[in-house]
Amino acid sequence: MPLDTKHLEALQQQWKGKQRKDNIKYFMMGATGIFVFLLIWQLVVKSGLVNEKMLPAPTTILQTLLYKVNNKPPDGNVLLVNILASLQVALSGFFSAIIIGIPLGLFMGWWKYADRFIRPIFELIRPIPPIAWIPLVVVWMGIGLKAKALIIFFTAFVPCVINSYTGIKLTSQTLINVSKTFGAKNFEIFYKVGIPSALPMVFAGIRVALGNAWSTLVAAEMLAASAGLGYMIQLGRTVARPDIVIVGMVVIGAIGAVLSALLSSLEKYFLRWKSVR
Amino acid sequence: MDVQKKKTSLQLILWWSLPVLAVGLVIVAWVLFSANNPRLMPGPMAVIQRLIKVFEKPIAKTSLFGHAWASLKRVLTALLLAWTIGIALGILIGWNRACKAILGSIFELIRPIPPIAWIPIVIMWFGIGEFPKVLIVFIGTFVPLVINTAAGISMVDKINVDVGKMFGGNNWQILRSIVIPTALPSIFAGIRTSVSSGWTTVLAAEMIAAQKGLGALVTRGWQGSDMALVLVAVITIAIIGSLLAIFLSVLEKVVCPWKSN
Amino acid sequence: MEKQLTKLLEAKNISKTFFSHKGYFTAIEDVSFDVYDGEFLVILGPGHCGKTVLLNIIAGLEEKTSGQVLYKGSPVSGVNPEISMVFQKLALMPFKTVMQNVELGLKFSGIPKARRREISQNYIDLVGLKGFEKSYPYQLSGGMKQRVGIARAYANNPKVLIMDEPFGQLDAQTRYAMQEELLKTWEQDKRTILFVTNNIEEACYLGDRIILLSQCPAKVKEIYTVDLPKPRNMISREFLDLRTKISGNTDLAI
Repeated sequence: MPLDTKHLEALQQQWKGKQRKDNIKYFMMGATGIFVFLLIWQLVVKSGLVNEKMLPAPTTILQTLLYKVNNKPPDGNVLLVNILASLQVALSGFFSAIIIGIPLGLFMGWWKYADRFIRPIFELIRPIPPIAWIPLVVVWMGIGLKAKALIIFFTAFVPCVINSYTGIKLTSQTLINVSKTFGAKNFEIFYKVGIPSALPMVFAGIRVALGNAWSTLVAAEMLAASAGLGYMIQLGRTVARPDIVIVGMVVIGAIGAVLSALLSSLEKYFLRWKSVR
Repeated sequence: MDVQKKKTSLQLILWWSLPVLAVGLVIVAWVLFSANNPRLMPGPMAVIQRLIKVFEKPIAKTSLFGHAWASLKRVLTALLLAWTIGIALGILIGWNRACKAILGSIFELIRPIPPIAWIPIVIMWFGIGEFPKVLIVFIGTFVPLVINTAAGISMVDKINVDVGKMFGGNNWQILRSIVIPTALPSIFAGIRTSVSSGWTTVLAAEMIAAQKGLGALVTRGWQGSDMALVLVAVITIAIIGSLLAIFLSVLEKVVCPWKSN
Repeated sequence: MEKQLTKLLEAKNISKTFFSHKGYFTAIEDVSFDVYDGEFLVILGPGHCGKTVLLNIIAGLEEKTSGQVLYKGSPVSGVNPEISMVFQKLALMPFKTVMQNVELGLKFSGIPKARRREISQNYIDLVGLKGFEKSYPYQLSGGMKQRVGIARAYANNPKVLIMDEPFGQLDAQTRYAMQEELLKTWEQDKRTILFVTNNIEEACYLGDRIILLSQCPAKVKEIYTVDLPKPRNMISREFLDLRTKISGNTDLAI
């Protein structure tokens, strides 16, 4: 039997209905999963199975979170001040890594002699985990913004360089040859062909850099700081306040997720030509 | 012709002298900086002397190798746990939509918390013994494994699953002999990330609280204003990190031989 | 040429419509044809329209919107173990050797190792890959990979062998050689073959019958019976006549 339009319209509606139902079903499963997780946590704590002095209940954590919005104790700063302190450090290190690392990587990937000169220096520094820089940097520069930003810089710098370098090295030789036959100069090919085709890799590098920056920030602030989210959780431990520690972890996680979502939408905008199909 | 030849030999000299020049520059900068600021940065000779002293007078009754082994042991224990649990969980999340909905959402909740941020709470719960350190490293290595495995499994081309169905495989056979091996390169990427992340996390854990381990050496040197010791530890850390990376690329060639082309 | 005219497989009024949030798209509309036991049936269609989907429906890999697939007179749904397929995109497992790829189906059905080695070796020899049993797919040329796909499908011992543009990605020389080899293999080990292509010459060279499909949505345009003896001479008058006839009737694909 041939398909008439009316029949197909009906099937289309049916299909849409099923899709919607599926989406709702899986969304509910996810929500239930999280809810059950929190519920078990709450019950385990409230029933006395786990000491509340060790693991506060989710409701207690929510209370502490709300309390920290307007109150300074025990770490001496309201939550927003800690957040801003952390963001300032993380973002200044992160942006300087992008500003220096990406052009450096692109430059190394495009000009062979630059590669020969810079690469050995880079390879000497690269295997040192950024956390290991903390003592040196603190001894050199104290525990101010600059010192912490420098530590973040080290951790974000490496993926920026590596990805831009690899990305531009992968530029299709065909595209380069086409540009050459149209008489483009080397530098023109570099910024009109090389950079755009390296962009997806560059963004992947920025993503890794952001993750590194945010997690190293915690280490930097835990070892040496007087404000910030890392400082807050470290202080929470010394005064035996697990609720403060967990609030700090939750806020760190949430801000990390927001930053990564921001980066995704930025990536979507810049790579819109690369859309799937 | 002559001009051409001269130019290429000049280029050749440049080609080989640049890397040497670069490394030389780093060493000269190091020597000059340490000569002018001996308290901020010990020079290469001081570091070598300190290295010899580490062997003559072991710190915390443990030689440098002992400290390195303490760190490595923690990482390896945590990695073995993370590889089993993380890969299994990643396969579940990547293969089954219901598992993805339930377990994936809980995982997404925990995932954005950096492993280092777990250190204070883990210390509060379990003190500063071996177990809490292994647990912290486990958290740091577990996350990339789950992410990479789940992504690898869910990105397996539908046609490969179709081949399995066409040749009469049941779900379990298709998963085991087609989907998981196809995702192996992704899983290996997860393993690679987990190793470097584990190596960083163990340092952080040791720097905050430990008697033995390379991270403990760093902290000890730092607190005792013994910068040469800090550098000895940092250089050891870097060397072991590089060796681990090399070992993994060799391992990848053995495990995924078809990827070498 | 004598032909048994037993219907093995029947496609009845098959239609397939894909739905999305923006609307729907019909790839196949009301396609019906029979496949006779032991014949070499070619489905010829332009461009990228519906052919792979049609095969997937017959093989039971994809749901149909309406219509029926009958096998030996009774309707089937899901994968039919008596049908095997050579995939368009090869879909060899890169992590398995030639031998392991060929014995995949046998392994799934639990045949003991010695026996499945023997069967697989037989088909590896038949497609001319002797000596490459331990090679990985990346070490083989395009034509050799395609032979692995054919051996893999044969080893599963199907009644019907579906081939989805198996030579589409090969260069012209290899393609001619492979067509000849396929005919030789088929002569030695007769199966019912359902062969899909977008190449008119290939269709005329291989097919006992040729089903010509139209441009999107795919419908059956005409069915040709080719009575030329095999192997066919590609520059004989009859061959060229047939070719011109089909060519004139084919929708242009852009």
